[in-house]
Amino acid sequence: MYRVPVSSASGAPALTTAGFQVLLALASGRSHGYAVMGFVDQLTDGRVRLGPGTLYRTLARLVADELVSESGATDPTAPHDARRRYYELTPLGAQVVREEADLLARLVEAANNAGLLDRNRRTP
Amino acid sequence: MTRQRPLGLGTHIFVSDADAAVAFYSEAFGAAELIRHRLPDGRVLFVELAVGPDKLLLSEEIAELNALSPSSLGGSPVLLLLELDDVDGTFAHAVEMGGAVEMPVAEMFWGERYGIVRDPFGHHWALCTRREQLAPDEVADRVPAGPTEGSWKGD
Repeated sequence: MYRVPVSSASGAPALTTAGFQVLLALASGRSHGYAVMGFVDQLTDGRVRLGPGTLYRTLARLVADELVSESGATDPTAPHDARRRYYELTPLGAQVVREEADLLARLVEAANNAGLLDRNRRTP
Repeated sequence: MTRQRPLGLGTHIFVSDADAAVAFYSEAFGAAELIRHRLPDGRVLFVELAVGPDKLLLSEEIAELNALSPSSLGGSPVLLLLELDDVDGTFAHAVEMGGAVEMPVAEMFWGERYGIVRDPFGHHWALCTRREQLAPDEVADRVPAGPTEGSWKGD
């Protein structure tokens, strides 16, 4: 009937996979949508492709949740084109992406201990 | 492959007045507008709302396509389930904003605090919050004899 809600330690909304990837792309600084798409594509060897529709929805959701803010001017010829706008993490966004990375690191550690990682990625 | 596993399931509702509905769902239920498209005549073709981790598509009714809202149909048989931390506060606020009480908030035998409000556009929202973690057998043991008895009717 209901899902188990997953909330971060900060009480912020749980992130979707796409949401985490976008925050990760912005973690090193302000960026525009094209760069976010390219970052995710490269990082995942093309296994995850954020199309313009998903990118726009994900960014709009992160902005509504106050994890990301738009910075700079919007191209008046394409107001809904997230690829042409600049975005940056808010302080809350920076905290949430750190917490999510920490949680994922613990899961990956468990996967490593269970022998689930590729040999060349395993840590002793 | 003979049967496909779907990639997702969404909800698409029709309303008589999209602007008023988006304003209501935003204020009452914390919805956030993500995308909006209009027909050339100005009617709202659809609005995509984020509601918690899920999405709700909303369109203005288009009579010539037989896409009608509860206001035109005289009701809706569908319940939209909304899980919240604070059922009572959200319920009271939705009623204050023009929602109608269909079923007052009460503790339910299946382990939720739960109430149903009809929004000003005729859609029914069941607001719920988890109170107990019950196994399916425990819920089965608690089912009242009939829908007019026990916690079905509230306190």
